[in-house]
Amino acid sequence: MSGASCKANGAVYPASSVMMNSVKKPKMEQIQADHELFLQAFEKPTQIYRFLRTRNLIAPIFLHRTLTFMSHRNTRTNAKRKTFKVDDMLQRVEKMKGDQESQSLSSHLQLTFTGFFHKDEKPSQNSENEQNSVSLEVLLVKVCHKKRKDVSCPIKQVPTGKKQVPLNPDSNQTKPGSYPSLLVSSNEFEPSNSHMVKSYSLLFRVSRTGRRDTNGLVNGEANENIDVTETPSRKKRSSSHREDGETTETYVAQMTVFDKNRRLQLLDGEYEVSMQGMEDNPVSKKRATWETILDGKRLPPFETFSQGPTLQFTLRWTGDASDKSTAPVAKPLATRNSDSSSPMETRTSTLRAAPVAVKDSVSTDVQMRREQVLCEPRQKLRIFYQFLYNNNTRQQTEARDDLHCPWCTLNCRKLYSLLKHLKLSHSRFIFNYVPHPKGARIDVSINECYDGSYVGNPQDIHSQPGFAFSRNGPVKRTAVTHILVCRPKRTKPSLSEFLESEDGELEQQRTYVSGHNRLYFHSDSCMPLRPQEMDIDSEDERDPEWLREKTATQLEEFTDVNEGEKEVMKLWNLHVMKHGFIADNQMNQASMLFVENCGAYIARRNLCRNFLLHLVSMHDFNLVSVATIDRAMVRLRQIQEELPAAEEEQQDQTLTMGGACNGTAVTSSGGKQGKRTKSGVTD
Amino acid sequence: MEGASTPVPLHSQKKTMTAYELRRRVKSEYMRLRQLKRFRRADEVKSMFNTNRQKIMERTDILNQEWKTRRIQPIISVLTLPVVCVQCTVDSGFSEFSKQVIPLKTLNAVASVPVMYSWSPLQQNFMVEDETVLHNIPYMGDEILDQDGTFIEELIKNYDGKVHGDRECGFINDEIFVELVSALTQYSDNEDDDEEEEQDFKVDKMELCDGKEHPEDPRKDPLISRTNNDSTKKFPSDKIFEAISSMFPDKGSTEELKEKYKELTEQQLPGALPPECTPNIDGPNARSVQREQSLHSFHTLFCRRCFKYDCFLHPFHATPNTYKRKNMENLVDSKPCGIDCYMYLVQVSSHVTQPSFSFIQFHFLNFHSFVLVFIMFAEGNSRCQTPVKMKLTCDPEAVDWSGAEASLFRVLIGTYYDNYCAIARLIGTKTCRQVYEFRVKESSIIARAPAEDEDTPPRKKKRKHRLWATHCRKIQLKKDGSSNHVYNYQPCDHPRQPCDSSCPCVTAQNFCEKFCQCSSECQNRFPGCRCKAQCNTKQCPCYLAVRECDPDLCLTCGAAEHWDSKNVSCKNCSIQRGAKKHLLLAPSDVAGWGIFIKEPVQKNEFISEYCGEIISQDEADRRGKVYDKYMCSFLFNLNNDFVVDATRKGNKIRFANHSVNPNCYAKVMMVNGDHRIGIFAKRAIQTGEELFFDYRSVTRERLHNTRFILFIHIKHIMHDTGRLQSHILIG
Repeated sequence: MSGASCKANGAVYPASSVMMNSVKKPKMEQIQADHELFLQAFEKPTQIYRFLRTRNLIAPIFLHRTLTFMSHRNTRTNAKRKTFKVDDMLQRVEKMKGDQESQSLSSHLQLTFTGFFHKDEKPSQNSENEQNSVSLEVLLVKVCHKKRKDVSCPIKQVPTGKKQVPLNPDSNQTKPGSYPSLLVSSNEFEPSNSHMVKSYSLLFRVSRTGRRDTNGLVNGEANENIDVTETPSRKKRSSSHREDGETTETYVAQMTVFDKNRRLQLLDGEYEVSMQGMEDNPVSKKRATWETILDGKRLPPFETFSQGPTLQFTLRWTGDASDKSTAPVAKPLATRNSDSSSPMETRTSTLRAAPVAVKDSVSTDVQMRREQVLCEPRQKLRIFYQFLYNNNTRQQTEARDDLHCPWCTLNCRKLYSLLKHLKLSHSRFIFNYVPHPKGARIDVSINECYDGSYVGNPQDIHSQPGFAFSRNGPVKRTAVTHILVCRPKRTKPSLSEFLESEDGELEQQRTYVSGHNRLYFHSDSCMPLRPQEMDIDSEDERDPEWLREKTATQLEEFTDVNEGEKEVMKLWNLHVMKHGFIADNQMNQASMLFVENCGAYIARRNLCRNFLLHLVSMHDFNLVSVATIDRAMVRLRQIQEELPAAEEEQQDQTLTMGGACNGTAVTSSGGKQGKRTKSGVTD
Repeated sequence: MEGASTPVPLHSQKKTMTAYELRRRVKSEYMRLRQLKRFRRADEVKSMFNTNRQKIMERTDILNQEWKTRRIQPIISVLTLPVVCVQCTVDSGFSEFSKQVIPLKTLNAVASVPVMYSWSPLQQNFMVEDETVLHNIPYMGDEILDQDGTFIEELIKNYDGKVHGDRECGFINDEIFVELVSALTQYSDNEDDDEEEEQDFKVDKMELCDGKEHPEDPRKDPLISRTNNDSTKKFPSDKIFEAISSMFPDKGSTEELKEKYKELTEQQLPGALPPECTPNIDGPNARSVQREQSLHSFHTLFCRRCFKYDCFLHPFHATPNTYKRKNMENLVDSKPCGIDCYMYLVQVSSHVTQPSFSFIQFHFLNFHSFVLVFIMFAEGNSRCQTPVKMKLTCDPEAVDWSGAEASLFRVLIGTYYDNYCAIARLIGTKTCRQVYEFRVKESSIIARAPAEDEDTPPRKKKRKHRLWATHCRKIQLKKDGSSNHVYNYQPCDHPRQPCDSSCPCVTAQNFCEKFCQCSSECQNRFPGCRCKAQCNTKQCPCYLAVRECDPDLCLTCGAAEHWDSKNVSCKNCSIQRGAKKHLLLAPSDVAGWGIFIKEPVQKNEFISEYCGEIISQDEADRRGKVYDKYMCSFLFNLNNDFVVDATRKGNKIRFANHSVNPNCYAKVMMVNGDHRIGIFAKRAIQTGEELFFDYRSVTRERLHNTRFILFIHIKHIMHDTGRLQSHILIG
């Protein structure tokens, strides 16, 4: 776990797992055993969340920025929606076309140089006539498309300006305003020039007069290839080249502004570029690695920066106040998961982004690295994750300086959001927030009550979890969400909701996910319920088939009831069972409905008088009025007359009636021996 | 052959031989018939199984059809596993069999579902009689039988040693008996070809006996010929009955068997009905019978509480004889139905007989129509009477009244009294004049229109209100009087006696219901509520008395409205309306199956009725013994007399598990005269939650409030320790 979390966030605190129950000199075995326990508890869930993170990066199911508690990740405002009209779209496009040039003119790439650092020579120790500044020349290199005859890509170098840059300045002394700065019009990046430009890069050339330093650095030339899709691919080439008579050292570095896909590679921020002496031979491209060699020794990647020579500058895209997207044409692609599209202003004040050259970074998780490169607001918040395990008897603490989720590296940017995210997205753990003088402590323990029974497609027992979000095509899931928009009353976000509650045991045990997250079965056949059957309730019918049959056979059993009576009784019973009458005062209505539904059958089967007897009997029970008898009989006569010349259609009509009265098949066997008598029933 | 040479001794020898042989034949025939029957039954089962399968196939077909139209990607395509080509081989030791190789296919593991014993779906309780024989000897695993052999013995003892299908050699039913006799007759007839002399003797004897026993019944012979295909006019010989009776001594003597045979074969006559059965009034054999007889079946079989004939719930049905007509309907049409109406006839005849006008005599005519008739009569009179009218007055000519018509008339006259026009309309084939004449003829049997009920004078409204108030007080009283028993309600029927301490309703501490024969003003009747709200607080007297609102009593709360929609303002009529929630079955999170709710419900909302078979307490004791052993019981005490058993028949709520911290509670309520068990939400329940209720008791509050609710339920109860225990808790 600890290893994993380090890997995920290569940033600030590399592996600082501290044993809280500090044993002075813990034996190796003890540590190992403890580590085993720790892994036992946290490894599995962490791996799961790791996997889910990757999946969510590749194919997100939802966007974090749409969550209420992550709303700050959403940079767009919907304010314009209110006044939005379709016509506006056209207008805007037209306007954009017309304004493009003027607009482009007003936008610049602003470079403010902080200084040139070269640790080899301490300025104070140098002779008094030593220069305090170096001259810097910035060239815009345009690599154009190859034309047919060209052997290699034509390169155009456009000088953009020369500046004197302080050498090894003391950051405390220099006023921020006094830094030399340089503007590159974004016009330069327009594709309007004669050649089709493939990519743009900035070439920094620092020339320094003075003693020649033979002790140059040989930096492995990294990533010469500009085509790589990897994020800020920059060239580091330092060279020192000797000019006649004078000892002028020249250091060079190149940074890609737009790669050949016209993706902006340089975002706002502070940069520190490591320069290389001009004269050194570049290593063959093919074997380029990220290793840095100093005096034949390998240096860790970041050592370069402490050694120098480096050039520090602040890069900023400026533009119209109205249109924030100053970057002329291209926008960084990889902003889907990150907040890189947030207002530029926020980023200018960002921390120094060390050009991270992480060796173990995987090329697939583009966004992640982008996010790391991007600068985020520095908060002096330190978050201690305290992992409790082995029945909460052991703990292990890890601290982080940022608000990234340790499992999915999502930048939550606020403590509240982080806690909410942890609680909701990583419910295999229990998180408790404890205020801490330096920031926050989050107690992490395993949620024993986590219901991980089945979170796949609830309708398909065979499919693996995750199938529900298949990307292979539409898949029908049970509609478990009916409300598309819900605006519940939300309590004000408060950190106190994450504090460990005293009585909240029960509350915590309940899973946060409600809804149909399991496979249901038919109660009669134990077969899995399919999504299209979800809305059918087998109990909706008041008269299951067996009961209809039962009532028919039960009546059939009577020996002292004649067929006519049986037939009417059966019809009536089925009628009552179907409609479920419950009140006396429904009977008039029920009788009329009976005539409507079964009148044709009664007439055809010649049961009219029996039906009349039934009505009179109902009247004797005080259930129907005389008027109902009259009306019912009149209606029956009507139906009888409307009946088509009965006999030839008899068969197919009995078929249609079959549904209404199920017992007819049994009925026909008149001579069947019954077992019951009605007198037996009454006495 | 040999018989011819030495007739006498051989004859006797043969006789003994046949007796012995007959016995053997009886046995073999019996066995054959039994086997035949078994085969037939097996065939029946097979065909039933096939039709059932067919039904299932059709159903799935319909569903699949629907599935296809949705253009949805089939699930299988996602499942295609990477084909691992592992070959499986089967080697055989014998050289002649070649090695069999087939690629290995792995099937997905499918989680097994919990065990479920089959049960029939039911939405209303179903009363069954006590079982006198043990239907099957329960199997509950070998170990239990080994451990506790006495259990089965004791169980069988409960049923007096009777086990279903436990037939000794003597098992024979009527059907087999008839078949056996006919088969044997055939057999002996074949033999008769050899022994003519004996046969003659037999025939003589038989004819004699036939003649003796049925001198009056000539139909007898064709009947026998029908049963015995080849021999005409022959009753099976005594020898056959002798043999049978010796084989099955418990079935009675020879004579008894003979009688029985006659009885059984007699019934096979087509159209023959037992004497107590009224012939079909729509049929050709309709006879002219009295009103009571025509309506007997309808009256006796109709359940006034379920509105059904021979209902599943109430074994005893009150006949309507003592029901009183509550509403005096307009019995007589005010106007003559036509030119030939009997009213003219009456008018004329009365005029003829009594020259002076008498209003009193025509009390059934109102003034208006009388005037009309009078004017018409006067008209006719003045113009010298038309031939028609003359006819009217003079000839009560002989009209042919069929049996059905006559019966119908008698039925209707009991309902319509003197409204001959209506009766004629209903009969359809006779005019009112003819009806009137027929009535005159039958004057002896005519029922008088009943007068107002003399026993109970109509009450004033004010009094009624006071009555209701006292009722309410009484309910309060009953609540306090903590009697511990609730008895089943049975409509009382004690004519001419008020519901006092002798009334069964009063003694059982039940209210009189609308089904009781007592007057609607009875003091013991529940008055219903006058709520205008939802009837879900104790303000509602129905709610307080743990009754559902009666749609015939509570007319203001909405219980009697909106029959079709589930949107009723009264929330206290859910059980009767079956306004249950959609429940879904899935393996429980606790144990076995569980039941889950599809849609969220609020606190105290009705979820479902706990339905099942209604059995007596004794029967519940017997069944409970078996269920206890199974550690699974669906018994639920309903009242002092009955228990609901959802084992064989029930609804989905039977799968709700027990919990000490449940989300549902059970309440036994009086619903239109029946006790029924409602399951209600104890708190707000969310979509997809599993339902639990406390098997052990109803909530305490309820216990105080209601008269008493007794509650037994036994099922798996998961304890904190995780052990399974069976609990029986009463009270």
